[in-house]
Amino acid sequence: MSPKGRVSLRGIRKEFGRFVALDDIDLDIEPVEFFALLGPSGSGKTTTLRLVAGLDTPDEGTLTVDGVDVTFAPPGERDVAMVFQNYALYPHMTVRDNIAFPLKMAKAPASSIDELVREAAAKVRIDHLLHRRPGQLSGGQQQRCALARAIVRKPKLFLLDEPLSNLDAQLRLETRVELKKLQRNLNVTAIYVTHDQEEAMTLADRMAIFLEGTIKQIGTPAEVFDHPNCVEVAAFIGSPPMNIIPAALNGRTLTIEGHSVALHRDPGHPPGPVIVGIRPGSLRIDPEGIPTQLYLQENMGETWLLNLKLGEMIVKMRVAHSERSAEGETVPISFAPGAIHLFDAETGLRVQVN
Amino acid sequence: MSSSRRKGGGIHAGERRFAFALTMPGLLVLFLTTTFPLLYLIWSSFQTINLAMPFLDGFAGVDNYVQMWGDARFWHAIRLTGIYTTTSVVLQVVIGLGLALLVMQIPAGQWVFRIVAILPIVLAPVVVGLFWRTVMLSPNFGLVDYLIQALGFEQVNWLGAPTPALISVIIIHTWQWTPFAFLVLLASLASLPVDVYEAARIDRANAFQRFWHITLPLLRPAIVIVVIIRSMIALSAFAAIFAATGGGPGTASEILNLYAFKTSFIELNFGYGSALAVSLLVITMVVSGVLFYLRTARHPGTKT
Repeated sequence: MSPKGRVSLRGIRKEFGRFVALDDIDLDIEPVEFFALLGPSGSGKTTTLRLVAGLDTPDEGTLTVDGVDVTFAPPGERDVAMVFQNYALYPHMTVRDNIAFPLKMAKAPASSIDELVREAAAKVRIDHLLHRRPGQLSGGQQQRCALARAIVRKPKLFLLDEPLSNLDAQLRLETRVELKKLQRNLNVTAIYVTHDQEEAMTLADRMAIFLEGTIKQIGTPAEVFDHPNCVEVAAFIGSPPMNIIPAALNGRTLTIEGHSVALHRDPGHPPGPVIVGIRPGSLRIDPEGIPTQLYLQENMGETWLLNLKLGEMIVKMRVAHSERSAEGETVPISFAPGAIHLFDAETGLRVQVN
Repeated sequence: MSSSRRKGGGIHAGERRFAFALTMPGLLVLFLTTTFPLLYLIWSSFQTINLAMPFLDGFAGVDNYVQMWGDARFWHAIRLTGIYTTTSVVLQVVIGLGLALLVMQIPAGQWVFRIVAILPIVLAPVVVGLFWRTVMLSPNFGLVDYLIQALGFEQVNWLGAPTPALISVIIIHTWQWTPFAFLVLLASLASLPVDVYEAARIDRANAFQRFWHITLPLLRPAIVIVVIIRSMIALSAFAAIFAATGGGPGTASEILNLYAFKTSFIELNFGYGSALAVSLLVITMVVSGVLFYLRTARHPGTKT
């Protein structure tokens, strides 16, 4: 039996009053893939998840799961399970009853329910808490209870709406690892909504970057990180994201704030304004480089982050401890020509250089 | 008092005396208007006070209570009070919940229903009783009779025949106070978490299952509060019944409160009337005590 859980969205549009939440969304999610929907709040990622869950219906477009059109099917007919941001546990039921609820609704034989509940609870290590109520659980335990309720029915699709955002930082890191393991063991398609790019990068097999109701890029975390296909994605991905610097291009010569830099290859872009994207870690101190002024330096633990004033702009640069200097001093910087990303100033789209 | 608590009780004795002096007038008024009448009622229930036979007045001991024990009219009134309270409270909660669930389905304009619902509550009970007695239930001219005859049924003497009279006063009370249950339950419904319902939809619960497994248990605290408040009020209902039937015909709608009133102010037997009123007080306190106990006894360990 081939794995199931292929999701396809075609031309999906969703409006809330005058606000266009989603505009012409096309998306294909492969079976057993861990797929992240990443974007800032209000970008449409949660709306997309709710459409897949059947909690909302689109105004235009079609949604198919394994080739079956489920655009307007109610949630119960889709064989999906969902973990909500606030867990949405049934407050009046014990953990056992919470996990058993989807089984009871699916009219599972009573004899098997106890066994399945125990199994699901054991997978997320809350089998010792079955008699408690959600109000008596910690945030992490509630989260595990919500996970157990979602996996107990062995659904075709596993939907997660920012499931880690209400946990404290330490627990978030631990749960993240477990979540990935869990999804692999269950062998089920997972769609994961998050605004935390680190979560998306570490968890996802592939991801879609949502901005203002459209998908800007779909790809593996590495593809999105190394080759952002537009300025918006470049300015969103990375922590801190890459520096976005306006420049002028003429053949192979790039002019930034009056300083010329030679590129190692002609990008084949007509002369004129471009946008240069460069990651803080790709900058280096170079006596021959473009002079900047050190505005502020931040201790990031393993590295330091220098905020450098280049003209009116602040450029961020990641350096080793030994390389930090006094605020106000001049720091000349340069970069390897291959380390930069070029974007068209007008369309914002990527110009291939490397 | 709150300021003294904030300072951790470190308040001067003089200041405390001054604070006490300031609260004295209020406490005195409170005592004179609530506590004193209650004590006077209990005192008079142990007296023979009969304006029709003043020569018999004096301390009666438990005579009034002994008389009550053998009084068939008292037990009849107790039975009616039970029927009246149980039926009207159940009807209020069931109808109120039904209406609240319906109104919750309306996406906009719920405030219209909230305002309309307030109207019966703010009417004086006497007005309500008279309104039903004349406009709605009066034979031949009443709206209800008109409808019933138009539909081809036989005329019913709503307030003049024993069983219809009891049904009528229950309907009147239910009509006036269902909006209370409706408003409380509507507010409670509106505060239920949306995502829990979405989780239930994803867990394949149909509309009835969502109501039975989610809504009803989550509304339970609000329902219990409504039952407690409404039971206490229904036990001591008076004005609307008095205006509509006066407890009649005969004693067909004479609940305990009416019996106590009639004994005191129509038969002018204040001693026995007080004893009846004290018995009603005891019943009300026991019933509400039991309801409050049931409210906290079940579901131990649930927060919120």
